[in-house]
Amino acid sequence: MKHSKINIIGLGNTLHGDEGFGVAAVNAFRESSSYPESVSFIDGGTQGVYLLDFIESCDALMVFDALIPLEYDRGVYVYRNEELPAFIHRKMSSHQMGFSELIGVAKLRGRMPKELVLIGIPPRELELSLNLSAEVSGLLPEAVEKGRAIVDSWLSAEE
Amino acid sequence: MAKKIVVDPIPRIEGHLRIEAKLNESNVIEEAYSSGTMWRGIEVILKGRDPRDAWAFTERICGVCTTVHALASVRCVEDALGIDIPANARIIRNLMNATQVTQDHLVHFYHLHALDWVDVVSALKADPKQASVIAQSISAWPKSSPGYFKDLQQRLIGFVDSGQLGIFANGYWGHPGYKLPPEVNLIAVAHYLEALDFQKEIIKIHTIFGGKNPHPNYLVGGMACAIDPNSDTAINIERLSMIKKIIDDTQTFIDQVYIPDLIAIAGYYKGWLHGGGLGNYLSYGDFPETTLADFKTLLWPRGAILGKDLTTIHDVDPRDAAQVTEEVSHSWYTYKGGDGKGLHPWKGETTPNYTGPKPPFQYLDTDKKYSWLKTPRWKNNPMEVGPLARVLIAYAKGDPMIKDTVGLVLSKLEVGPEALFSTLGRTAARGIECKQTAGFMRHYYDQLVANIKTGDYRTFNSERWDPDSWPKECKGFGYTEAPRGSLGHWIHIEDEKIKEYQIVVPSTWNASPRDVNGNIGAYESALKGTPVANPDQPLEILRTVHSFDPCLACASHLFDMNGNEITSVKIV
Repeated sequence: MKHSKINIIGLGNTLHGDEGFGVAAVNAFRESSSYPESVSFIDGGTQGVYLLDFIESCDALMVFDALIPLEYDRGVYVYRNEELPAFIHRKMSSHQMGFSELIGVAKLRGRMPKELVLIGIPPRELELSLNLSAEVSGLLPEAVEKGRAIVDSWLSAEE
Repeated sequence: MAKKIVVDPIPRIEGHLRIEAKLNESNVIEEAYSSGTMWRGIEVILKGRDPRDAWAFTERICGVCTTVHALASVRCVEDALGIDIPANARIIRNLMNATQVTQDHLVHFYHLHALDWVDVVSALKADPKQASVIAQSISAWPKSSPGYFKDLQQRLIGFVDSGQLGIFANGYWGHPGYKLPPEVNLIAVAHYLEALDFQKEIIKIHTIFGGKNPHPNYLVGGMACAIDPNSDTAINIERLSMIKKIIDDTQTFIDQVYIPDLIAIAGYYKGWLHGGGLGNYLSYGDFPETTLADFKTLLWPRGAILGKDLTTIHDVDPRDAAQVTEEVSHSWYTYKGGDGKGLHPWKGETTPNYTGPKPPFQYLDTDKKYSWLKTPRWKNNPMEVGPLARVLIAYAKGDPMIKDTVGLVLSKLEVGPEALFSTLGRTAARGIECKQTAGFMRHYYDQLVANIKTGDYRTFNSERWDPDSWPKECKGFGYTEAPRGSLGHWIHIEDEKIKEYQIVVPSTWNASPRDVNGNIGAYESALKGTPVANPDQPLEILRTVHSFDPCLACASHLFDMNGNEITSVKIV
């Protein structure tokens, strides 16, 4: 099925090394693509509730973010729809809702996109730095290509 | 035997706020310790960079306050270089700032703080007809029919039955600290969901002026947006009318939903007036009608209150080395001249020196250094910043709008002004202020339209853009009142580069640790004396800390694929 609106969001803090992976991936993806206007790239940073509109305003949502399944090997992980666990963060200290909470809100409001994909890499370095580690940087093209294949399939009439 | 509660939201990579509270035998908090558990080293990243780029880095340190850091940053660079911005730029920045505060207060009340007062699970038992009667008795807001509440309740029940309580999973539902009847809980949940739509609309103003959101564009010397009533791509008639519509809807929502909800909810909690704390309040002021230097024209006045004495508003000068200082006697930093000696931010140092326990650990050694937050003081006094501080200062100075609205809220609740010195007072002040800043949005919209009508389309002053025009060395101070309080950026420029940059954020004032004289910080003070009904579920601690709208370690963001709980509550 063809999706009329696709949002691609990068999450993360660009001041903390690999924490900025999601934003770097979205920027790289944007620069190497020429999709129609129905596809939007969003640098979500560490925003919370501001991002709700970007979740609810599309049929298909792709999220790039650093992952912390600490027992996992370094690599590119892709989770689709119900593969995403229903994780809950009560973030007492940071003012905003976490992304997973926003997904919960969108569900409660009956405004979830039909497709949801999360593409992530476990971080290597989280120290104060504007750059990704060499290892995560090396995996970034693979993450973008995996994203591109999915977006291409979303745009084609067959799926 | 004394008990100790630890509320440590983030056990792993992202450090945030950690509260350790000692309870006495009656479960009343005797001492509280507030710790920021992550180093925010933006000052180090900025050294050697082009000062014109600083705003884009500083706006990444916070997950909410992107625009306020950008604003404080461009203001400090303009102050250092002596740049006057055009009237349109001043008005647009004020309008964006008023938008930010309004949106942030709304989101804070409904989406962060409401669940400290509202029991979602209780709402499942509400009688929708009765909820409708109550809703219609407190407001003319149209979404109040029995069918509306019944439909919402059924959706909620379905949500809960699906096993995905989601956003509501971690609440202390059924806690004896919750006082609202089921029907009021149901109304509040309805507005929790409706407010999500409103905050989405309000913030579109940032997209219009800032080019994009999140992370709108700022510019040293003005604003990056073009104004041309006849252009398709600039700020034109169509975009201005969009803004006007958003402002109309925002004011309606605040008047018909937020304020009535606040009064209705507060009515059930007016016997719970804990959490007052220091009684010292500080505001740098904001919303300049002329220039920032001319602080007497600020719509939010500058000043300080000590010891709850509303009869004396002290003058404040954040440039004065004897007034705003930071020391590190209880913070994980080292100062060359001694950790207990307060340094003005222009002389500030950022040398981390972690001496705390190696994680994972059970308790911090609170007799020694115990926080990544420095200890800011105003004339050696610990200060509370934020909506309560600003409202009290404006109230004491006789601001007519604030006096009227505070008076209205107090009379509806049948309490005196002393009730303001509490957690509930802080929460009420935020609502009162939200009504005020929505009015500012209209005020600045009118100013902008009037100024454009004179034919003035200028948004940028390029005179000092070229570094060749800069002095070899200069210093600047940029300030704003962020939603959660006074924010200052101090810059030292030398040879066209940033030599030193220091930021004192609102949550550092409020969450500061003890100082060298043993004076406790605002959170630490506000928590003292609060009874905790159930130490396994310290709802009262969350309520008071949330009332300050904390934004610590602003902000890291990682997906936890294991779904690990982040708020860990440990009891001894």
